[in-house]
Amino acid sequence: MIIHRVIRKVQRFQGWFGSGAALCLIAGLYIGLVDSPPDYYQGEVVRIMYVHVPLAHTSLFAYIVLSVGSMWYLWKRDPIVDNMCHAVAALGAIFTTLALATGMIWGKPTWNTWWTWDARLTSYSVMLLILISYLMLRTFIDDHEKEARYAAVLAILGLVDLPIIHFSVEWWRTLHQPQSFSMRGVSMSSEILIPLMCMSIGMSLLFSYMLMVRTQLLYLDRLLHAKKGRLLSQFHMSQSDS
Amino acid sequence: MTFFNVIRWIVWKDLVIELRSRETMSSMVFFALIVIFIFSFSFSMDQQAAREVIAGIIWVAFAFTGIIGLGKSFSTELQNDCLEALQMVPESKGAIYLGKVVANFLFIFVVEILLFPMFVIFFNLDVVEEISILLLIFFLATVGLSAVGTLFSALTVQIRAREVMLPILLLPMVIPVMIAAVEATKGALNGDPLTMYSQWLELLAIFDVIFTVVSFWLFEFVMDN
Repeated sequence: MIIHRVIRKVQRFQGWFGSGAALCLIAGLYIGLVDSPPDYYQGEVVRIMYVHVPLAHTSLFAYIVLSVGSMWYLWKRDPIVDNMCHAVAALGAIFTTLALATGMIWGKPTWNTWWTWDARLTSYSVMLLILISYLMLRTFIDDHEKEARYAAVLAILGLVDLPIIHFSVEWWRTLHQPQSFSMRGVSMSSEILIPLMCMSIGMSLLFSYMLMVRTQLLYLDRLLHAKKGRLLSQFHMSQSDS
Repeated sequence: MTFFNVIRWIVWKDLVIELRSRETMSSMVFFALIVIFIFSFSFSMDQQAAREVIAGIIWVAFAFTGIIGLGKSFSTELQNDCLEALQMVPESKGAIYLGKVVANFLFIFVVEILLFPMFVIFFNLDVVEEISILLLIFFLATVGLSAVGTLFSALTVQIRAREVMLPILLLPMVIPVMIAAVEATKGALNGDPLTMYSQWLELLAIFDVIFTVVSFWLFEFVMDN
């Protein structure tokens, strides 16, 4: 299995990802929180963007990885790909929740509301709903192979659905009321761009690092279960012999 | 058996079961009636307020009733290991999917036709001129609901906590159907010209086509044991 070998090979560089993430995040946070100037319109509040935007990017990336992995699983039925999908869904749910939470914290001072049924917010939170239902589905199936198959089916259906959801929600909002809140043209000067890039790269590296660790954990967990099952059946056989 | 014969037999089988037991449709109709009552208690509505929210109430009631019907669609197959028999049908699994979609569509659509007069009576709606366009909306939205719902019904019937998981999986997926159906129904009930809400009908049609095709393909993986 070629993907198996690729994942193993990449996992050897796990430490690089982790330390790269730490470096980028520390540098990005320092530049973003201390070094960069406050925004002309939003003042100090704008600094939450350096956390919010990378989180949102990374969680979208997570969903893409999840759907590609799910298709790969249905095609090749490689268990480690399924472990990766499971890991990426859980991490994606966490990153999505954090992105929504930081978005709300940002929205309160700038939009004067925690939540609005804006198109992007709505479709993004529906993505979180689908990710959570994906994780729930996995807990309700005992058989490993079946769990992987059904989860992949759900992820692919969600992938097809998300653009349609986004599209319909956008129509729904824009037909009724003009979008009340829009980001005033935030000029992307290099003072903002550099910490944002730093944080984005750092967050992606952190995500990849966590993904590798989590995939490995789930993989080992499955091996352990298989081994336990074998040992138990051997034990029972030796008991019945004597 | 050819592909189309399998579809026909599945539809026929489900219809016969339903005609003899009358379990699914009667429980769906009765449940939806209760939903109508609960809604009219929870929003004390005058004529004006009713016009604003009635489209939403109609579709919430239809979606919940639809879930009851969809859940029953495959859970009846658990008795006497009928599910295994279906899995052994020597024809592409897609035929079973399409048969079930057609049967589910018929159940939900008939229930909607039965229920709609109740909405008209209880909420004093004026629908005579718009009845054909409303039927078209019901048709398109029900196709979408049963296309996704049948796949999830087959999926959840084989896992634990199936009654809980079906709505949890299904409802986020059919959000476009709900939005489009509510908006189109609202437009039709208000007597707006068709061009003002025809894009919602197009969205429903697009959703139907995409999800019938995708679910048809994915059904293979759900039934393959």
